[in-house]
This record gives sequence, C-alpha cells and structure tokens, in this order.
Amino acid sequence: MFLSDLPFGHTAIVLQTPDSLPVKLFEMGCMPGEEIELAFYAPFQDPMCFKVQGTLISMRRDLAQIIPITEPDAR
Amino acid sequence: MPDKKALRIALVGRPNTGKSSLFNRLTGLNQKVGNYPGVTMERTTGLAKWAPGVLAEVIDLPGVYSLHASSTDEEVVMDALLQEAPEERIDRVIGLADGTNLKTCLFVFSQVLDLGIPAVLAVTMRDEMERRGMELKTEELSETLGCAVILVNTRTGDGLDALREAVLRAEPSPKLPFFQPGGLHLRWLAQVQEDQSMAMPYRAWLWGLKESQKPHSTTLQQPPQRARTDEAIQRYRQVNQWLRDFFEADPVKDRRWTARLDRVVVHPVWGSFILFGLLFLLFQGLFYGSEAPMNFIDDQLAALSTWLTSVGPPGFLMHLVSKGVLPGIAGVLMFIPQIALLFGFISLLEESGYMARVVFIMDRFMRPFGLSGKSVVPMVSGTACAIPAIMSTRNMENSRERFLAIAVTPLITCSARLPVYALLIGLVIPNSSFLGMNFRGVVLLALYALGFVAALAGSAILNRWMPAKKTPAFLLEMPPYRWPQGRNVITSVWNRTKSFVTEAGKIILAISILLWFLASFGPNKAPDFTQERAPLAIEESYIGHAGKAIEPIMAPLGFDWKVSVAVVSSFVAREVFVGTMATLYSVDDEDNATIRAQMAREVDPRTGQPYFTLAVGVSILLFYAFAMQCMSTFAVVARETQSYRFAIIQFLVLGLLAYGVAWVAYALLS
Repeated sequence: MFLSDLPFGHTAIVLQTPDSLPVKLFEMGCMPGEEIELAFYAPFQDPMCFKVQGTLISMRRDLAQIIPITEPDAR
Repeated sequence: MPDKKALRIALVGRPNTGKSSLFNRLTGLNQKVGNYPGVTMERTTGLAKWAPGVLAEVIDLPGVYSLHASSTDEEVVMDALLQEAPEERIDRVIGLADGTNLKTCLFVFSQVLDLGIPAVLAVTMRDEMERRGMELKTEELSETLGCAVILVNTRTGDGLDALREAVLRAEPSPKLPFFQPGGLHLRWLAQVQEDQSMAMPYRAWLWGLKESQKPHSTTLQQPPQRARTDEAIQRYRQVNQWLRDFFEADPVKDRRWTARLDRVVVHPVWGSFILFGLLFLLFQGLFYGSEAPMNFIDDQLAALSTWLTSVGPPGFLMHLVSKGVLPGIAGVLMFIPQIALLFGFISLLEESGYMARVVFIMDRFMRPFGLSGKSVVPMVSGTACAIPAIMSTRNMENSRERFLAIAVTPLITCSARLPVYALLIGLVIPNSSFLGMNFRGVVLLALYALGFVAALAGSAILNRWMPAKKTPAFLLEMPPYRWPQGRNVITSVWNRTKSFVTEAGKIILAISILLWFLASFGPNKAPDFTQERAPLAIEESYIGHAGKAIEPIMAPLGFDWKVSVAVVSSFVAREVFVGTMATLYSVDDEDNATIRAQMAREVDPRTGQPYFTLAVGVSILLFYAFAMQCMSTFAVVARETQSYRFAIIQFLVLGLLAYGVAWVAYALLS
C-alpha cells in the first residue's frame, strides 16, 4: 500500500521509507511512524496534499506513489 | 554600508511563521533590499536602534524547514549562519516558531541552537493560540532549551520589548547538544572536525554534509548513509518529548477554518474557478485600475513639458530636458501604478496563504513547461506590462524557474503592443466578417494567443536545453489561512516600488537620454535647436541613418527604410512606432485613422501597388509580437538577473526570433 492509494477519510501510518526519498520530506515532518491523512488533491489528482503532524504537506503524485503506508483505517 | 558596530541579528524559521511581520515590526520602513551574492534571491536587511549605543542590523533570512541544503533557500541560510569572518558573522539569531504549529518549528530551532550562536525563540501567533485553547509553558521550555522563549504578537506589538531585551542578553545555550550522531556518523564527523579544525561539532556536521553533496568533492570522505535522516528522527523524537511536557492543546478547536475553506478553495472544480476568477480580477485591475493614475502622471508630465517650453527660448538644454530627460522620467513613473497594484495583490495572496494553493492547483498544468504554478502570476500580469510581471518573479524560490519566467515573459502580448497592432490591423486586415467573426478581432485574438503559446513553448525549450541541475523535489506546505496584515502589504509595495525607481529607473533614464541624442544628432548635419520643431529631420539623425543602414538587412522582411527607422526607434517602447510613423509620413496629429490613411497611400516604387500589403503588415505584426523592443524591460531584466549579459542575450535571441518569424511569414504571403 502506498500513500497515493490512501482514500479520503482514512488514516494510515507511514512505514520505513526507501533511502532515495528526499530528506526534506522527513524534515518537514512526514516520517516513519507518523499518522497521515489525505487532505485534498488538485485537478487530475496531482499534486496531492496530506495532513501529517499538524501540517499540510503537498507533493506530486509520483512521490506519493513510493511512500509505503500501513493498511488505512476508517476514521 | 553596514555599521561595523551594528549587532547582526538573523531571523531564522520555517515559512509562514510570521517572519516578515516580525521583521517589519523590528525595523520599520528602514529596510534595504538587495541580493545574496551569487544567487538571484532577495536579501532584506533593516537597521534599527535598540538601546542607547546599540545599533541592530536585522537580516531576514529565507524561510526554511531545515538548515540542511535542499534548495537555494537553505543554502543561503546555512552560508549566513556558518560565516566566521567578523564583519559577516551573525551575532544573534531570533528563531521563529508558529505557536499553533510548534513541532516542525522547534525542529529547525534546535539545529540553530546546536550551532552555538546566542539565540532567542520568538513564538508567534499568540492570539490564535489563545483562541484555540493552546498553552505553552514558556519558562519550562526556556529552561530545557537553555535560551529565552518569548511570546510575541506581531499585530499588536506585544512582547517585542521583551524580545529585544532577551536578544541583547542572549548567550550560547548551555544545554547543547540536542543531537548526537552515533557510530559511523560520529567517526566521520570527528574526521571532518580534525581535517578542517572546526571546534563546534554541529558546524562541522552541516558543513561536511553540504560539501559532500558537491559532485567533485575529493577533499572529503563521503559521509555514511542516512546521516540527515537519522538526525531528523532523533530531533523529532526530542521535540515530541518537549511538546508532551510543555504544551497543551484543545484538539476540538484546532484548524477548523482552514480545513473548511480548503474544501472549496482547493476543490478540483470550484478551486479552478476561484483561481481563474482571481486571475481575471488581477488582469482587469492592472489594465483598468492603473489607467487613471497613469493618465494623471502622463498629463502632469505633459503639462510640465509645456510649461518648460513656455518659460524659455528653445535651445539645446531645453530640448534635452523636454525630449530626453522628461520622457525618461515618464518612462519610470508611468510604471509605478501597475507595480504598486501588482505587488499589493501578490502580497495579499501570500499573506492570506492563498499563493501556496495557486501553486498547488496550477502545478500539473505548468509542469511540462518547466514552470511551477507560481509563474501564473507573471504570465497573467505580462498581458498588462512586462515590467511589473518580471519584477513579480522575485517571489519565486526556485532560481531556475525564475530564470525561465524572466526569459519568456516579454513574449506575452503587453498593452504597449496594442497601439501598434491596432494601427497595422486596421491598415491591412479587411473589416469584414466570416461566420459572424470579424477578421480584425480574430487577428488580434490570434496575436494574444501567439504570445502565450510562444512564452510557454519558449520555456519548455529552454527547460529542455538548460543543463539540468538537480531540481529540488516539489514539497510544499499549505499554510493555514490568515487575515493579511496591512503593514506587511504596505511594506512590500513600498520596497518593490522604491527599488524599481532607484535601480531600474536609473538605467531607463540613461537609455532615454542616449536615444534622445541619437534622434537629435546626425553624422552630416548639425541640429538646430532654435526652432520649435525637431532639431533634425528624422532621416538625418543617427537613428534615421541606422534605419537606412539596416534597410538591406530588413528587406527580406518587406520593411522599407521608414519601417526600419520606426523599428529602431521603437526600442524606447513599442508604441513609439505609431509616433515615428506619424513623423515620417508628416502627419501632425497622432490620430490612428489619419496616420493609417496616409500610410495606405504609400506606393511601392517597384510594383506601383500600395506598399502596405497583407504580407508587409503581417510581417511587421509578427516582428512586434516577438522582438523585445522596450528599454524598460531591458533595464528591469538587467536589474532582476543582476546581469547585463542575460538582458543582452535575451534581446538578441528574441530579436533574431522576430526576424526569422517575420521573414518566413513575408516569404509565404508575398
């Protein structure tokens, strides 16, 4: 399961990420073990915006496609 | 020149923490906008007297999420903080933290503390914290961090005196370090410290990790994997502990407004409508809102010119002032209403938190052209005028994207092209319609579309062709919505306008006087300044000679010497074409219809037919669509890129492009 598959109204936990991801992602607060939620997306579902650690972080879909997450829980 | 005794204080924090509000509060309007060395990024500093004998030089560093360099922003901040030379060294840091979003802010601040620079933490958004039932135990946090923690309110100014006092008293934190590299990382760090003889471990850590990213770094051993990642994990663990101990929030009251607004504002459908509505408003505002003040400035300068010629007899000096200096001043002042309006608008978008959403919504559309959503603003404002549009690229953080936007914005159909288009379309396009569409209207619309297509295509080509540096990942925080602060909007408008007048203004005035000289003097005949009329017939002047000299070059485009002269003199501004044509065809008033009638009578000596055929007209139209004939644009590009080379190359490339397109069109149509 990857971050890009997270549906609205569900939360998941970010899993251990591959080393190739930009470290800035971590430094902005999106890191393994944190709860994450889809906030909204732009036309064509790209980019997407997620809520993590109280911050809204938006990223392009290709990045969200390689961030592994746990099975989503309905809120 | 910065005072040597001034205490250098840097503001460091994430974006959207109220950094510029605090900066404006601390310095007032006494700000200086410049550039960081080597990068096209704005650097704002302000001087203020904080205590008897204490002068503070406050430096507003770009907002960053970490001190490690992911983009130019962080590089600028890191370079500033790592400076060792006494006159460049940062003496104090004010760390900014948004009280409603402390976690990620404390992350950066703990990095700053580890550098050993005396620092104070300023917690902003105090009013919002209270409204949302948040409480921070500042004394306990201050104890743990080993530095003062001050709650401030940038709207009312509460807490600012305490902040100033704390900054003056600040010492390096005794609680260092907040981050301990382990195992392999520690061994690597020790090596860097020894090689570079750096006493402060975290300085060596930051410096070493930055150097090792450079492609040909041979002096340095590569750091072990996951250095920055491990640091982030360790720091966040610590920050979370602090928040558990010292921070309480009522989760129910949290962030409701932003989430509610975002349901509409970034909705895939409604969001786009709102965005296009706002951009339309911007276009209308720039076009019509600036009309009255521009006319006013124009009228005043015309009155001044008339008054001048009435007080003294015509002469060299009089002519220089009325035809060289005054038009130059007009060329500077005329742009002020548009620049002020545009920057007021942009500042409102940035302050309210909407600008990040613009980037978000437009990202997918602009991506193929190497641009981000931010370039929508210069593209749209370019339809009014390229000057404010190019200045508005200052708000772009990515310098590669900014370069692209500056390079292609002059292609967008600006309002100065309209008089030229109107004259030529009226001359060569029949006033008839097909399927209810007026040909003249269609041609004008096509020229507008051509401007956008050319700009986007140009950007895509440049993007492909430019050496690809590692572009930073698209990661953008959506700030919560906030009411804009009037103080910040006014400061932004003031700074931009001031820097345009004092910097680009000088270049515009100089070019204007140079062009006056070229139009008033000639190689063979001495100018006569004692008459009311022009001192020299235009064909006798240097510009006239230049026009005739390039006539053979322009012949493949179908330009005769008169058109060539008009093209050369249009470098002042495109609309000068109309005035020059009027002079060359000895039409007294600059009324469009009169000039057009006169031009329509012009006969091509070779064919005996009217000279201004469809081919010639379209050729001139296309030439004006592409060529960068505007001294003010040239000046602003030189100023914004800090490079005359860039401006000259842009001028030449766009000129060649114009030449090529006009040539092809003329060849096809004639």
